[in-house]
Amino acid sequence: MKTRYYIGGVIIVVFLGILFYNFTKTNIEYEYDFQKVMTNGKVCKASGVWVKEKSFIEDVQNRKFIFYIRDANKNEMKVVYHGIKPNNFEIATNVVVTGKYENGYFNATDVLTKCPSKYEGQTTQKTDS
Amino acid sequence: MLGNIFITIAFASALFASIMYFLNYKGNEGLLKYARMSYHLMITATILASVTLLYLILNHNFQYKYVYSYSDKNLPIGLLISTFYAGQEGSFLFWALCMAILGIFLHSYTSTRGDLEPRVLAVYSLVQSFLLLMITPALKNPFALIYSEPFMAPATTIASQYFNLPFMANYIFSDPATNQLFVKIDKTLVAQLTSAGIGLNEFIINGKGLNPLLHNFWMQIHPPVLFVGFASMSIPFSFAFSALIKNDYREWIKQSLPWTLFGAMVLGLGIMLGGYWAYGVLGWGGYWAWDPVENSSLIPWIVSVAAFHTMLVQKRTANENSIGAFARTNLVLIILSFILVLYSTFLTRSGILGDASVHSFVDPGYLAYLLLIIFMATFIILGGGLIIYRWKYLKKVSPINQNFLSREVALFTGSSTLGAVALVTFLGTSAPILGKSVQIEFYNQMNLPLAIIIGLVNGLSLLLKWKESGLDELLKKVKFSLAASVVSTVILSFFGIKEISMILFTFSSIFALFVNAEIMLKIIKSNFEKIGAYVAHVGLAILFLGVIASSKYDKTQDVNLYKDEPSEVLGYKMTFTGYQPTPDGKYEFEVQIEKDGKKWKALPVMYYSDYNQGIMRNPDIIPFLTKDVYITPVSYDEGVHQHGQTVQIKKGDMTEYENYEVKFVDFDFSEESMKNMMSGLGFSMGAILEVKDKNLNKIYKISPKFEIKDGIRTDKPEKIEELGLTVSLSDLQADNQTVIVKLIHEDENSLTDVNKEFISISASIKPFVGLVWLGTIIIVVGFFISMVRRLKESRS
Repeated sequence: MKTRYYIGGVIIVVFLGILFYNFTKTNIEYEYDFQKVMTNGKVCKASGVWVKEKSFIEDVQNRKFIFYIRDANKNEMKVVYHGIKPNNFEIATNVVVTGKYENGYFNATDVLTKCPSKYEGQTTQKTDS
Repeated sequence: MLGNIFITIAFASALFASIMYFLNYKGNEGLLKYARMSYHLMITATILASVTLLYLILNHNFQYKYVYSYSDKNLPIGLLISTFYAGQEGSFLFWALCMAILGIFLHSYTSTRGDLEPRVLAVYSLVQSFLLLMITPALKNPFALIYSEPFMAPATTIASQYFNLPFMANYIFSDPATNQLFVKIDKTLVAQLTSAGIGLNEFIINGKGLNPLLHNFWMQIHPPVLFVGFASMSIPFSFAFSALIKNDYREWIKQSLPWTLFGAMVLGLGIMLGGYWAYGVLGWGGYWAWDPVENSSLIPWIVSVAAFHTMLVQKRTANENSIGAFARTNLVLIILSFILVLYSTFLTRSGILGDASVHSFVDPGYLAYLLLIIFMATFIILGGGLIIYRWKYLKKVSPINQNFLSREVALFTGSSTLGAVALVTFLGTSAPILGKSVQIEFYNQMNLPLAIIIGLVNGLSLLLKWKESGLDELLKKVKFSLAASVVSTVILSFFGIKEISMILFTFSSIFALFVNAEIMLKIIKSNFEKIGAYVAHVGLAILFLGVIASSKYDKTQDVNLYKDEPSEVLGYKMTFTGYQPTPDGKYEFEVQIEKDGKKWKALPVMYYSDYNQGIMRNPDIIPFLTKDVYITPVSYDEGVHQHGQTVQIKKGDMTEYENYEVKFVDFDFSEESMKNMMSGLGFSMGAILEVKDKNLNKIYKISPKFEIKDGIRTDKPEKIEELGLTVSLSDLQADNQTVIVKLIHEDENSLTDVNKEFISISASIKPFVGLVWLGTIIIVVGFFISMVRRLKESRS
């Protein structure tokens, strides 16, 4: 009867091994330091602030959306997103891009815009009314 | 007020019923009538609280924060009713309402079956009291008034004639980011309004409304079904618990099976309705995106499906000497499936998923977060504790000493594989809690081999007999299906299924389909009652085939369709012919689709939503028997703008365009032109730019200008011949030291006629996606037939 448990045990161990291997392999980490993003070339979710001064380029023809983001250490990174400008882009306080850095820019497959909470803490009192 | 009273009564009576039932079970017979009374009071009060909320919603009582936050006066009746569960507080009340209504049936079920009532309802009432606790007035409550805490209401929802009241200046705010005006509603404002003789319901004229993403038919059906599923998951849980309380593990299997099947049926249907919503309306492109919110309700479903398979083994193997095989496994799985429902709620309500999910329809709440943890912890500790406490009795299980070729082993293999799928999905879904996130590939890679095993076991298990099957016998039975599946798989591989993993998955699904269909057809007349399992398994096989075809072999093309110019897209001739507004303020974009002389019309929708401050898009689907043509709108361009790229640059900064770096060095005003400008004569304005070609590593200094003379503007662009790049100055803003320049590349100039109206679409062909929905319906039917059968058996 013991053999049955051994076989079961082996299957479980192998399965868990594959599971954790795959989990680490497909894992995307949040990255807040662009220096790292630009050097290691790994797929990650880079979180930063849109560089307003550099505006953005909306290339509808080729379906490209190009902009710059900046991290807390003022590292700037060019982002090329193969898609169209996400909603709320201009008012976003934070931008999270998923993809990897290659050929001198961050090739993004996804852009997530985090918006200021519309009703709390973000409003300033209107003095002239 | 009334709502609060009802909720408080419901909560108190649920708790009281739980205690009374428990004490009654412990031997205090006189308490049964109090237990029943408070149980029914709990049901009545929960229903009344729900009726109250519904009444407030239907009457637009915007002084209630919940009503204000999720509904408005413009919603059609169906959607207006659905705002009941659009937010956190209401959805918990709705859940409690489902518990209450199911509780009526559960009471009549348990009260006619031995000593089930006190034990089961004690647990069930305890679960209900936890749910109601979360929405009691002390916590997050749907009957809270809008001014109970200072609240920022968009000015558009406030009657404007009151804006010039003297005290109003203190309450009007503006948001610099969006330029929206808000009115801060708090107790002092309400007091001032009252003394001015203005009622709050005159002051607030409309609600914030329902998120437009939820404005559709599915909002009225997906959440309610899902919540019934959630609520019914607590019933088998209560049975398992009550078995542990009584220390008797034979009866609960039989008695809870119909409820387990009911729960799995409803929850499964709810999940797939959500899938259809995502596919057909939200335009996610597919029915399953492995989004954490979708996953989190799938996990308890898988676990409960695994549970009733091993429950069947226990039921079969129990005898005088033994409580049957897998007694412990079943307790653990059923308890787990309920805790996973709570976990799902925790993931979606606490806001812990943050950016990881596309869903964000409920405000995160710290309190709900904490309470749900307590909720889960309580039942994990109680459940785990009781199992450990009863361990020595639970050890008396009969071992599965059967032949490898037996239905017991096959069912166990099936359940273990389902367990593995649940574990994979759980791990991936929970990753955001650890600040990580997995790619979709994780789920696909891990679950694919497991799905192949599920397909095979799905077929084999029903060919195998209980206890032992001979290999010869099995081969004889499997002959036809095996041959048919091999042939079909070979044929399909000629049609394009090439990858080995897909061939295996296809084979195992077809095998499951043939085996089950064969048996089903054999017994459909003689033994209709027992057909449920086969039907559900056929459904799963069909669903799998739909998944293979639609996800692995779909084709997508991103294309710009110019107005009235046909384009060849995925073998169809598609033409954008214009758009028209719809009565609800959206725009339908008409795409004519033509193939072999036949014509269809797709009407994808786009509109701007104030609520979301963004563009919303709904796809349109043209269903064929063998495929869906799926058109997602991406953007619309009216074509009046010029070609090229417009960029904005601040003085001293630089921006990048293709291979160029464009630096804005300075403005270029000649003194003469300044003088002319002052005296109102024609003048010219320019900007000095440095364009660097990164490939050639060469810098060009240019100065595009525009002239204004007699009110007519003339552009004086500069062309860098070497690069074929024309740069013109569109605008300049001296006050913030910015210029807007347009860059046009020569090839763009000559190749495309961009002065035409166009829409960008994503067109896809999704082969056999209909099988996914067909499979789902068949599974639900199978569950239903099985449920009826097990319900009959539960009486014996």
